[in-house]
Amino acid sequence: MAANDMSPGEQLNAEVVQLLSGVSANGGQHLAEIERDLVQMDVLLDEAIKKVCASFMAIHHAVDQQQEALNSLQAGGMSAAEYAARFEALHGEISQHVGAAVTGLQFQDMTSQLIGRMARHLAGLRDVFGALETSSLVPAESSDADLLAALVHISNRVTTRFAELEGGVRSTVKQRHMESGDIELF
Amino acid sequence: MSKTILAVDDSGSLRQMLTFSLKAAGYRVIEAVDGQDALNKAKLQQADLVLTDQNMPGMDGLSLIKALRGLKNYQTVPILMLTTESGDDMKAKGRAAGANGWLVKPFDPARLTEVVKKLIG
Repeated sequence: MAANDMSPGEQLNAEVVQLLSGVSANGGQHLAEIERDLVQMDVLLDEAIKKVCASFMAIHHAVDQQQEALNSLQAGGMSAAEYAARFEALHGEISQHVGAAVTGLQFQDMTSQLIGRMARHLAGLRDVFGALETSSLVPAESSDADLLAALVHISNRVTTRFAELEGGVRSTVKQRHMESGDIELF
Repeated sequence: MSKTILAVDDSGSLRQMLTFSLKAAGYRVIEAVDGQDALNKAKLQQADLVLTDQNMPGMDGLSLIKALRGLKNYQTVPILMLTTESGDDMKAKGRAAGANGWLVKPFDPARLTEVVKKLIG
């Protein structure tokens, strides 16, 4: 049925339904994105902490082994050549673990981008809910026509806010794991 | 004399990790917090390689590359993007702007220094 063929009451009903459906669908979509970002951030943080902890333990173990090798050298249980080879191997091992820790420690950069995106989503949703404010638009005693005009105005404001929100929030962090990324030389 | 790398990222922890990794490999590092800061520093000191993030407040990585390529002494300097962005469309934009390579975060220090060494020795 075209809007012109509807009675004021029917137009009012249709506008209310459209407004609520729009808020529900768009709001739900943005909240779902926030939820996805939170899950992604949880996975990244969990992997980063595990990686950093494992590297820390491995470095500690390698340093202990270096000390044992040094003790053995001093006690005459190891030749200087054997010690040099052992020391070099442990040094390489430590560098490898430090490298893994450096990869893990980059979580802050990615999670802060995700947090920034979530904050923009939330600020946008706050604007949308602000646009639903009706007290200044609807007088205490209003006719159906007044109410309809107010609802159309609110609907337009909400649509505009959702459109602004849509354009301003782009995902830049696609990483699902704290593994080092691809390298491509042009 | 050690080669100089201009490392550009708005994340302090990321800059710290980059400087740590590159210095350990024997390079001298100049840090910049965004594109404009990098451009100012690039004009004051000649870098042998530029490593830049994409998403930064103010001037972003792509704009920085375009601005650097407009400077006579940065026309052939290798520029690498180091970013969370991994889409082909962004890589194509980087290439068109004048980037020589694209590295996706998080980086592995050994692989990063390997690439840097390949480009500037």
